[in-house]
Amino acid sequence: MSTVIQPSALSPDIDQTIAPEPGFRATLMHMIFGRKSTVFAMIVMLIFIVVAVLAPWISPYDPLAQSFLSINKPPSAAHWLGTDQFGRDVLSRMIHGSRNSLLFGLISPALAAIFGTALGVTAGYFGGAVDRIISRLIDLLLAFPELLLAIMIAAVLGGAFWNIIAVITVAFIPGFARVARASTLAVKQEPYVEAAVAVGLRTPTIIVRHIIPNIAAPIVVLMTLWVASAIRLEASLSFLGIGTRAPNPSWGNIIRDGLNNLFGSPWPIIAAGFAITCVVLSFNLFGDAVRDVLDPETAE
Amino acid sequence: MTETLVLDPAQQSSTATKPLLKVEGLSVEFGPKASPIRVVNQVSFEVNPGGSVGIVGESGSGKSITSLAVMGLIPSPPGRIVEGRVEFEGVNLLEMQKSRLPDIRGRDIAMIFQEPMSSLNPVMTIGDQIGEAIKLHEKMSREQRRERIIELLKLVGIPNPEGRLGAYPHQFSGGMRQRVMIAMAVACNPKLLIADEPTTALDVTIQAQVLELMHKIRRTLNTAVLLISHDLGVIADVCERVIVMYAGRVVEDADVKSIFRNPSHPYTRGLLQSIPRLKDERSRLYQIPGSVPLAGTIKMGCPFFARCPDRIGKCAEEMPPMFTVSRSQRSACWVTAGAASEANGGATA
Repeated sequence: MSTVIQPSALSPDIDQTIAPEPGFRATLMHMIFGRKSTVFAMIVMLIFIVVAVLAPWISPYDPLAQSFLSINKPPSAAHWLGTDQFGRDVLSRMIHGSRNSLLFGLISPALAAIFGTALGVTAGYFGGAVDRIISRLIDLLLAFPELLLAIMIAAVLGGAFWNIIAVITVAFIPGFARVARASTLAVKQEPYVEAAVAVGLRTPTIIVRHIIPNIAAPIVVLMTLWVASAIRLEASLSFLGIGTRAPNPSWGNIIRDGLNNLFGSPWPIIAAGFAITCVVLSFNLFGDAVRDVLDPETAE
Repeated sequence: MTETLVLDPAQQSSTATKPLLKVEGLSVEFGPKASPIRVVNQVSFEVNPGGSVGIVGESGSGKSITSLAVMGLIPSPPGRIVEGRVEFEGVNLLEMQKSRLPDIRGRDIAMIFQEPMSSLNPVMTIGDQIGEAIKLHEKMSREQRRERIIELLKLVGIPNPEGRLGAYPHQFSGGMRQRVMIAMAVACNPKLLIADEPTTALDVTIQAQVLELMHKIRRTLNTAVLLISHDLGVIADVCERVIVMYAGRVVEDADVKSIFRNPSHPYTRGLLQSIPRLKDERSRLYQIPGSVPLAGTIKMGCPFFARCPDRIGKCAEEMPPMFTVSRSQRSACWVTAGAASEANGGATA
């Protein structure tokens, strides 16, 4: 960063002036492109997203087409990632499956973060009866394992796409709410919140401008971590016949199908496992970068 | 009243008889209603327009709670104001609708807090934080607001204000942050500035600069100041009137000269004796024996009784009223003030 330091002779303090700030956009650009791991993560994310969007045009075969002539084949020029026990092309199934997996993996944690944070901040900031009611509700949700909760809701609502999103979202809300509530309790005690009240700000403004930006870091990190859990949960639901229905592919049910046929052909599991790992890792790295952007002290 | 230092003559003629802030019989309790602990007890004082009043007392004397009560910032629960009035320009703030308080905060009454290191939001630029108050209370375009923020930063002595608008609090030292806090507080030209131990967390040279800045603010903006401190030196520097608090009560209320030349209450005398002086012959500083009683443990009599060198039997049984010692000095002590008051002719409750 090019910086101009202008020491002031009139300064009554010992002048420890730091350069004029480069502005938010410049900081953001620096954060994103200044670190190799972040650039790498963004490239990986971009590739997966492009593949998911272009799936029907770039997949070499129909992901559902079976062929008894080529069952359990290892990778070859015709089938880059081999074939599964029904002779379906694994690469085509991976490409089509990325649509479901990425949608579930991204939308659910994002929605859960929004609702969970809203609940947690409300409970933490207002305290008293509001806190007790919300906290007990959260405890109630936490008492059920995520999967059980998801099955329960899916059984009631049915297995449509948005229902599955809702199911995973509800299952993730308690985690976000707890983190948001605990962080709010800590931030609420800070003198700058009291100072904001003393300046005449009203409660909604204080929450939006002073509380939420200061609790954003753990929430963002949690969100990126749970991209992985969401993909996994969708896989479990698919296996149980609630999520993506066979024969339609998602990374989750590619792994599930592949488990039964591990000794026939390991390639579906290897491909799907590698894809999930890549996506999760790149989201985590990206999450770290976002967290650093949100905290001005590390944004140097 | 002795406060004649009102700079704006127009304001003086209209409000000379009316104090800007009038606190009357203010009592604050904490804890459960069944067994409340009274931390502020029947506190009364006045601040004139453009005047400066200091509240001095040890930790736990209720001075900070008094200032928070004026702002309506007592955390409730567990705290509550049980009686009294806080009149600002003739309007009782305690009876005012809660939703209207934010209109007064920041615009008419502003506050500076004790901890400059944590009183600024770490994820907001200082320009935005100062601008927040202006945006809230005044109609200004973005450009005007920017000009105003730069002007304020100049006023409080931040070098290179244009370049520092986008800086974050962690890039400033403690003294600079306190300057930013002051800029935030005076952003809308408040009529009253409450400063709760504004220099306590700063080292001595920075303290002097911040106090000088408060003088400058008073001179240029004609802002009345209510300064809370445990440091009599700071109070002497800034204030015209001094209120001494002990265990939640006002024990002496006088102009600053009387406090230093002729302290009436034994507690005030003790405080003054415990200040080190340059030409001191003593090997040990004076200390008031004992310690401040726990809030709520004094049920009857004078709260200073147990530590008082001049106590008489009556002190244990009855809380002394505020006696008028001289024209500008009142003190709550049976022994010292009571005698002086009788000599002057009659007590005032």
